[in-house]
Amino acid sequence: MKNVLNYSYYPGCSLHASAKEYDESTKGVFKALRIGLNEVPDWFCCGATPAHNVDELLSLSLCAKNLSLADNVEGDLAVACAACFSRLKTAQHRLTENDIKRKQVETAIAGAVSLEKPVKHLLEILAKDYGLDRLADAVKKPLNGLKVATYYGCLLTRPPDVPELDCCEAPTIMENVIAATGAEPVAWSHRLECCGANFTLSRPGVVLNLSNAILASAKRAGADCIMVACPLCHGNLDIRQKEIEEANGTRYGMPVFYMTQLLGLAVGVPAGKLGLDSMIVNPLPLLKEKGLV
Amino acid sequence: MSRIGVFVCHCGENISRTVDVERVAAEIGKLPGVALATDYKYMCSDPGQGLLKKAVAEHKLDGLVVAACSPRMHEKTFRNAAKAAGLNPFLCEMANIREHCSWVHEDREEATAKAIDIVRLMVERVKKDKALQPITVPITKRALVIGGGIAGIQAALDIADCGHQVLLVEREPSIGGHMAQLSETFPTLDCSQCIMTPKMVDVANHPNIKLYTWSEIEHVDGYIGNFQVTIRKKARSVDMDKCTGCGICMAKCPQKNIKSKFDCGLGTRPAIYVPFPQAVPNTPVIDRENCTYFKSGKCGVCAKVCGPGAVDYDQQDELITEPVGAIVVATGFELYSIAEKPKGSSIKGYGEFGHGTIPDVIDGMTFERLASASGPTGGKILRPSDGREPKQVVFVQCVGSRAREKGISYCSKVCCMYTAKHTMLYKHKVHDGQAYVFFMDARTPGKSYDEFWRRAVEEEEAVYIRGMVSRLYQKGDKIVVMGSDVLVGVQVEIEADLVVLATAVQPRQGADSLAQKLGISYDTYNFYSEAHAKLKPVECATAGIYLAGACQGPKDIPDTVSQASAAAAKVMTLFSRDQLEREPIVARVNERNCVACFSCKKVCPYGAVEEKEIRDRQGNLIRVVAYVNPGVCGGCGTCQATCPSKSVELDGYTDEQVMAMIEAL
Repeated sequence: MKNVLNYSYYPGCSLHASAKEYDESTKGVFKALRIGLNEVPDWFCCGATPAHNVDELLSLSLCAKNLSLADNVEGDLAVACAACFSRLKTAQHRLTENDIKRKQVETAIAGAVSLEKPVKHLLEILAKDYGLDRLADAVKKPLNGLKVATYYGCLLTRPPDVPELDCCEAPTIMENVIAATGAEPVAWSHRLECCGANFTLSRPGVVLNLSNAILASAKRAGADCIMVACPLCHGNLDIRQKEIEEANGTRYGMPVFYMTQLLGLAVGVPAGKLGLDSMIVNPLPLLKEKGLV
Repeated sequence: MSRIGVFVCHCGENISRTVDVERVAAEIGKLPGVALATDYKYMCSDPGQGLLKKAVAEHKLDGLVVAACSPRMHEKTFRNAAKAAGLNPFLCEMANIREHCSWVHEDREEATAKAIDIVRLMVERVKKDKALQPITVPITKRALVIGGGIAGIQAALDIADCGHQVLLVEREPSIGGHMAQLSETFPTLDCSQCIMTPKMVDVANHPNIKLYTWSEIEHVDGYIGNFQVTIRKKARSVDMDKCTGCGICMAKCPQKNIKSKFDCGLGTRPAIYVPFPQAVPNTPVIDRENCTYFKSGKCGVCAKVCGPGAVDYDQQDELITEPVGAIVVATGFELYSIAEKPKGSSIKGYGEFGHGTIPDVIDGMTFERLASASGPTGGKILRPSDGREPKQVVFVQCVGSRAREKGISYCSKVCCMYTAKHTMLYKHKVHDGQAYVFFMDARTPGKSYDEFWRRAVEEEEAVYIRGMVSRLYQKGDKIVVMGSDVLVGVQVEIEADLVVLATAVQPRQGADSLAQKLGISYDTYNFYSEAHAKLKPVECATAGIYLAGACQGPKDIPDTVSQASAAAAKVMTLFSRDQLEREPIVARVNERNCVACFSCKKVCPYGAVEEKEIRDRQGNLIRVVAYVNPGVCGGCGTCQATCPSKSVELDGYTDEQVMAMIEAL
């Protein structure tokens, strides 16, 4: 049976900078699972939050241009960052339903808009294209006993009709993927709440409050660690964790993993190639305790 | 040569806004056979009808065309006017230039041209109209009422009090419906049981009411005045004639922990049970799915302890066919479940509220049971999870209702009022408790309703927060309610002990399949459709079937009772005559040409075609032909289109008439 999966890959800016470990672990996991992953040449920023707040046409045009570049590489477009995923899907959605916008964007990028290539988040690729059963079969070192709080954040499932990844109010895809490795997803209250996102720069107080609620909820549910799929969420929960603890007089010590770091451990990517040393909250004591490193 | 009169109506501005009615009259006036063509602002009004009657006499008219609205609206009006003027009413036809023309077009020129075409066709049809005589059919003066809630009970009592027999069919073991579950009712806070149970007893004792509980409608045949209804009397496993209602079987049944549907799962009941102590009839049923005897063949305790020997494990479902003349549908409602819905449903459920997984998040009906003196807590407000008295209760309105993204866009109408009532009942029982209400709008149209709501806010100190709830989650033994206060513009978080959701009112499960059995129409949500939103609010488009209560749309008790009495009045109007006059638009067989292939019989959706034997004077069979029973014929014309030898025609729509209309186009 020919069952080779091949994807074009849009890493996005964060994965080449603050979230290098997400990029590194994504490549590691895909290699271990023998899924092809070819980076789109000359890709550039999707516009992220600033572009669509300032100028919708700019935001749509940046994404449209990236989508047309992706046409040069074979395979559906794999995206790791939740924000890039959301922007690219939004552009596809808006330009499909609005001919006027589409024409404006075509003028702006001086070329045709190409919307046919499916844009897929890593979760979708692993859970649906690759399959949960196959993923479970590929596990070499089960994450048994590891209690994981799966954190979706805002953009993976919302707004409801755009990402088409899972139910916007009660998604299960993250839990399903991590459960395939033998880890135990915990039931917790804040998996869909906002972490404060970009306010981390302009009004960090907001982040200290919102992210604190998320960490507290994960702790309350008995989680050993949090799993994320978004560089910004990671930054707020991991990099700011110490600050949050100080501001609230608490202590969490809660490692925050990218999903591909945990999956990498399970499918046999060497721990040294998962960027674990880039994490601010040191995960090694936990991983040692669970016998995973 | 015919002498046809044509009357073009302005319908206020409804027609004249887009159709040049004067030009229509002028153009039609030029047609051969048209003796008079004129226009008037409101043809249906008294002066309009007077104009028509006067013209018949003055111009010696022998046919009429009224160019106005749909015949569904006013055909009867104008045919009566024609009759009063001395014409056969079936020589009067309507040309629909409103729904079919002015309402759907914008261009005045084109609309006027189309109106002229429509009227010209009707003139040609009227030229070939024949005087028809109404058909009379007998009426069975017995009514069927489906559903034994307050709507069905009220309708049944009204009809029965008028001296007519009523069959009341209820799906559950007892009548009473939702109203029997309620604690106290707005806006007077009188006890629901106290006003409901006497009516239930009246039903049971009424000599004119035949009660079928634990029964469902299997099949419906026939037509207005002459329905044949097949009722499935489900096996009760208890002989209703022998049972004395002593209740010893229930007391001794070893299965005690089955969740009571009547108590919304808060209380328990045995496998042989009556849903509640005031049940009518007070005869238990055996829940065969949970009964040890039916599951394993062992036990049989109830049969052993029953003094009169009423328990009968071998009882089977019974099918009973009854003739009735009219049907009142009063199947009521159920509440939207916030639990996850099966795939394919347009209803999405509430993942953000945990899909119904948090035990102290309950719906409005469950709160009614908590507050009811006959409820599982004896009327004490206690949390389902740990039996503690909640000190902070959050009520959330519009859960499911007015939420297009969740699949329902309508307002459930009763929730604003019952939530206000809930806050009062709570305050009356838990004096140091605090009620919060998240609401979109407080809708209180009804006599003494707004005063009632204001009382909840001003005297009983319920805190109303305008805004919606985004999420509920359990935190320790509290439920955190995250919402917004849009008037202040802030996010709100309340740690509640109990959350009560005012979930949407929906039609009963299976409402659509009952509608299909009855041949009545229903909307996208499965609420039954009335014949006219304003002028025929209790009639179905199917003659002889009437609606009462929440099966037609969300309704409170006063509205339900009013509608039930109105439906009963309609039934009594029908029963006030001995014979029903039917429109003679029925198919007629030309017996000379009929070759007895009976293709018509195969296609007739009403089962109106019979085989008729033609015999000579000595009684020898000469041949067999088709015969259309005019009492049953629905006038659809399917037989006319099917007949290979052109031997059957629909009066008023003969081939000759239809061809003349086509030629005039």
